[in-house]
Amino acid sequence: MPESVTVDRRKAIGALAGGAVAVTALVVIDRRDHHGKLWEGRDGDSRRADAGFANRDDSYAAAGGEIAAPAVQAETLLFATAGEAAAGTQVTVPTILRTDDPVLHLTRRATFGPTPDLVDEVHDLGIDGWLAQQLDPGAIPDPVADQGWAAFPLASADPAGVRAVVRRFDWAAMIEYGQAALARQVWSRRQLFEVMVDFWANHLNVPTPGPGAWDVASSWHNDVIRANALGSFSDMLVAAMQHPAMLRYLNANASTREAVNENLGRELLELHTVGVSAGYTEDDVRNSAYILTGRTVSDEGRMMGMGQESEFVYDPNKHWTGPVKVLDFSHENATADGGMEVGDAYLRYLAGHPSTAQSIARKLAVRMVSDLPPQPLVDRLAQAYLDSGTSVGAMLDVLFRSAEFWAAVGQKTRRPLENVVAAARIVGLQPGDDVRYGVAGLTNAALAAGHRPLGWPAPNGYPDVEAAWRSAGGLLTLWNHHRAVVGGWYEGLSYAEPLDMVSGMPTGTVGEFVDSMCQRLLFQGFHPGQQAALIGFLGGDAAASSERAGVHWKGFEVASLVLDSPYFMLR
Amino acid sequence: MNRELNQARRDVWQSEGFTRRTFLAGAGKVAVAALGTQLVTARAGYAQGSGTGTLVVIFLRGGMDGLSVLVPADDPALAQARPRIGIPGSALLPLDRGFGLHPALAPLHQLWQRGQFTAVPAVSTPDVSRSHFQAQDCLERGGSSAGAVEGWLDRVLDALGPGTGFRAVGMGSTLPRSLAGDQAPMTLRSIDDFTLHVGDDVLPQSTAALGALYNGIDHPMAIDTATTLASLDVVRGLAAAGYQPAATYPQGAPGDSLRELARLIKADLGLRVACVDIGGWDTHTNQGTLDGGDMRNQLTPLGDMLGAFATDLGDRLDDVTVVAMTEFGRRVAQNANGGTDHGHGSVMLLLGGGLAGGTIHGSWPGLAPDALDQGDVAGANDFRDVLGEVVSARLGIGLGALGPIFPDHQVTPLGVMR
Repeated sequence: MPESVTVDRRKAIGALAGGAVAVTALVVIDRRDHHGKLWEGRDGDSRRADAGFANRDDSYAAAGGEIAAPAVQAETLLFATAGEAAAGTQVTVPTILRTDDPVLHLTRRATFGPTPDLVDEVHDLGIDGWLAQQLDPGAIPDPVADQGWAAFPLASADPAGVRAVVRRFDWAAMIEYGQAALARQVWSRRQLFEVMVDFWANHLNVPTPGPGAWDVASSWHNDVIRANALGSFSDMLVAAMQHPAMLRYLNANASTREAVNENLGRELLELHTVGVSAGYTEDDVRNSAYILTGRTVSDEGRMMGMGQESEFVYDPNKHWTGPVKVLDFSHENATADGGMEVGDAYLRYLAGHPSTAQSIARKLAVRMVSDLPPQPLVDRLAQAYLDSGTSVGAMLDVLFRSAEFWAAVGQKTRRPLENVVAAARIVGLQPGDDVRYGVAGLTNAALAAGHRPLGWPAPNGYPDVEAAWRSAGGLLTLWNHHRAVVGGWYEGLSYAEPLDMVSGMPTGTVGEFVDSMCQRLLFQGFHPGQQAALIGFLGGDAAASSERAGVHWKGFEVASLVLDSPYFMLR
Repeated sequence: MNRELNQARRDVWQSEGFTRRTFLAGAGKVAVAALGTQLVTARAGYAQGSGTGTLVVIFLRGGMDGLSVLVPADDPALAQARPRIGIPGSALLPLDRGFGLHPALAPLHQLWQRGQFTAVPAVSTPDVSRSHFQAQDCLERGGSSAGAVEGWLDRVLDALGPGTGFRAVGMGSTLPRSLAGDQAPMTLRSIDDFTLHVGDDVLPQSTAALGALYNGIDHPMAIDTATTLASLDVVRGLAAAGYQPAATYPQGAPGDSLRELARLIKADLGLRVACVDIGGWDTHTNQGTLDGGDMRNQLTPLGDMLGAFATDLGDRLDDVTVVAMTEFGRRVAQNANGGTDHGHGSVMLLLGGGLAGGTIHGSWPGLAPDALDQGDVAGANDFRDVLGEVVSARLGIGLGALGPIFPDHQVTPLGVMR
């Protein structure tokens, strides 16, 4: 019956269905049969049963259908080490991805995409050894990424440095930062760090490029996001709420005691910390805005002469004084001079609030595990966050020691940027004779697919669930990108010829060629139907000579098709 | 690998700015097994059923200030509350019931005079929320009941039944929340970019292989792949024919989106429901005056693009109804940054064919102090009463069949449609 069709579909996200008709069985569903009872009796599912969703991604994920949290079969849910968790968790969720090598799962989630070298490295170091390195990124030499980054000097410039070379309000520095960030995603060996940088940049989203950030965007990303990405969230929040980029973006720079602007005060509660389900009131929003008054930027008209241009300043004359109360935080807030201290105490209160722990833990689990993650895992991550004084590393440590992480193979779909970057990584694109031009090309591919790095125009960051990214046009953009990376069409970068990626080719059979290409690009073979699709492309005879089947020129297309396949679309 | 061939492709790719590639004519037809149920077909000459025409839903994201758009010119409370950003009554384009239209929306006033534009003030959702996310979510899910997890337009499509691959289109990169669900909507950015960069020599084999790669895969991507492949030939024909719009759209993504929708509508591809997002309405600062500022800068292109859309469609506008909505209105009183903070009652704009023109619809509670809801325009007209009536009249879904679309609300038409 219709309802069971839906259930089967979404439980088996990314699995091979029973037969070739499975897709056709999905599309006509009379959902009137189950209106109002979609979420009944689903113990252990983290979906809220009432009308209110905690955030946009939860809402989208629910609309995408009924997705059960991945079933977990393990002796315990929290192991002593990540390696033991990987070994001790059985993967029972239906998926087309191979489930016998946890290193592949780890490198699809904790990095922007596995490469042959990376997979070998994790096997050599062991899962725990590799993770320990990743959690201390400063100690990892990163020469290729440094080379890519250095091609974009404005990405490391402070506001004065940007102002010295860029025309007022020009987007050049913001665009350079986005390109430099993408270069790091492609080439950095500090992959977990880069994944978390992107995570936090979206959590505290300041659209880049976007209004008001023309001279301060690089400083925002370097001094607030990168400086704290594996540190404590409390520190990151305090740094964010005294940075010109955030103050300008959400109008706090213009908020004064006589003229309170609620924008940042509200989003601080809703998006950055406790979330709407914490149950704060409009009075709380107002008080939140009061507390932040006085935090402004040095070039706000009357502030001229109080510092360098585009510097954060606290102006006591603009601070609203008097008792304030938000949720359980209250303060006399009696003096204008004490306003900065009150604000920082308020921010640290919010960072350490259990609702903030839940919001951030859930967002991390959505990033790393599945679109509707198991609530016990979210609770465990939230507890680690609270116990450690909002430490990001402590949350990640618990995440990788959790059975739920290792059980969720293939339960996430790559978003466009992740697809673009993963494709560049797996074919081995390297800096060539014009890194700037080449990286600009990759950035344009992400832009065309609607996912330029850091470019979401609203304060809530890019969506992180599959249901929000469904796009027929977007698939074509990605498929075209696959042809561009395989064909080396991104001028300025160096690349490997498709045939050079697979050893000993093209001397074998068509079947061997197809298998080698799948192994090289996906670390696994295809299932019979998918394998037949590629063999069909090469003439249909697996035993034929690959040379005679034309792999010299069709190898390019085959490699592209491997990247187009559902195996590569999942992570 | 054939370096010469690859170099040729690479040259084309680069010369066309990473976006476009020309093809020789004559691609093979692609059989897509996954389309067995005919939920979607690629037939261009889609037989129109009893319901005809297209509903275009524009979401003005950020909370558009309705009091700057549909201005209650005669209300003295407005000028008092907005000394810096009020629109003087003398400058307004006269409408009805004491309302005037912001002069930047002159193209809409021309439509008003032809009975092809109207508006509803004091529109509200059942949940009063000043959170962008909560208010948008409520609107896009079509209400607040526990059952309404899909987007409201997904349920409209469910009621409409099968159609072409173009029956539901979201313009942009991410799927509009109101289309989220199971009804295989198509998301695209432009018709000319909807193309696969492979040579004609291998195009049929490539599309066949892509179809086979996703055959039997249990994932929404498999459905989107089938829709994409089934639509490639049609779009290719459309792209090859080129497009000369009958009006000039303002530059930028929203204008481009409306132009592409006009193109799809005129091509008779069975488009029933389309979504366009226009952002930038969160005017906490510098709303400005008639002479400048964010509101004028937002409204001018909005009026121009809607006017261009109407002109471009010509007679086909009779088959199209456009609804523009926003998550909430803004506070009546200006803030001290010359902007307004989040409020409640909002304005819905309607244009196109089938409207009951010549009058502003719905109740108007006014701006007297005791009429306000915590300093905001009170909600007087439920958004579902407007949407339900429009859907019913435009798409041919009987009023009695709206229950599943708005499961926790009985639609009472306001009379916006003829």
